[in-house]
Amino acid sequence: MKTFEEKWTAWLDGQLSGRELTEFEASLPDKAAADAERAEAKKLGTLLKRELSAQALTNDEFFSHQVHERIARESASQSRERYAEVSTWWTIRRLLWTGTASLAVFLVFAVFVIRDKNPAEPSQYLTQILNARVDPVVSPNATVSMFEAKEDRVTVLWTEGLQSLPADYAAK
Amino acid sequence: MQTEATLAQADVSELDLVRRCQAGDTEAFDELVTRYRTRVFSMIYNMVHSEQDAWDLAQDSFVKAWKSIKRFRGRSSFYTWIYRIVMNVTIDWLRKKRVKGGGAEFDDAVELKQIDPASKTVPKADALPYETMQRTEIRARIEKAIAQLSPEHRAVILMKEIEEMQYHEIAETLGCSIGTVMSRLFYARKKLQNLLRDVYENI
Repeated sequence: MKTFEEKWTAWLDGQLSGRELTEFEASLPDKAAADAERAEAKKLGTLLKRELSAQALTNDEFFSHQVHERIARESASQSRERYAEVSTWWTIRRLLWTGTASLAVFLVFAVFVIRDKNPAEPSQYLTQILNARVDPVVSPNATVSMFEAKEDRVTVLWTEGLQSLPADYAAK
Repeated sequence: MQTEATLAQADVSELDLVRRCQAGDTEAFDELVTRYRTRVFSMIYNMVHSEQDAWDLAQDSFVKAWKSIKRFRGRSSFYTWIYRIVMNVTIDWLRKKRVKGGGAEFDDAVELKQIDPASKTVPKADALPYETMQRTEIRARIEKAIAQLSPEHRAVILMKEIEEMQYHEIAETLGCSIGTVMSRLFYARKKLQNLLRDVYENI
């Protein structure tokens, strides 16, 4: 549904036709006044067209030259920006790679450390230590073994041929 | 007068120029600038009433057009498309200027700067012919009247009356509905009729 302003403008510009035109003209309270206003609007249009048409552009060739120069300058700066963006991307990628590699190395070390802390490993060391502590002069045939059941949290120290425990062994 | 065939040829070659621009050919863009620079400058001048500002804004519009030429899909004519850019640039500039000027009318600020302090006391030796002077005055009256319109109303009345654009072209250029264009035209004409009645009734 067109507003009055829209219909009026269309009527002034000769854009109404058929039934729409008839209805609009019938709705006008004073057709003569409306016609006079339409004539005024035409005069206004003629005045504007006559006085404002084609304002001369002085130095038109210089205008084009300046546009050309600006485009060349801005294209160059855009290329630089794009290059800078690419460089930044490489740096970010490098950082990403470095970070990932560092994390991988850390994880490998972490796994080793955790494995080193596995209770099964120290028990072997302990056995060796105990073996070393058994004096071969006093107990030449002595052996010491250790068995461990992780699930039951039980460790069994098995000694054979031992004449006496070393004086400094006290399972401190 | 151009025939339909030559108009069609002009359209084809314009589209061809646009395609070449999209491929990065700056010479093709120079050709488009040459074709439209006067109309673009004239349109902006009628909006801002300052030759220097119109020059700068026309430059900005063409540079912006170059930057976004790859987005031109050919759904409208190149002229309508570049007019949209021109209008956006100019209306934005007018709004900013109005805000900076604390809401003062644009033409007042320019007019005060342009008046030569010596002009009243020392007339030029070679006085302007009467007719030229009268037309200069008429033009000044028109510019002052247009300056009292909002940027959107200015754009609509100038595109309709000077460029003789259709409602749908104006709507497309300004990114609004045809109804809005017609409504703005209604108020712009009313205001200009009130301000310029004595001018157009006496010529």
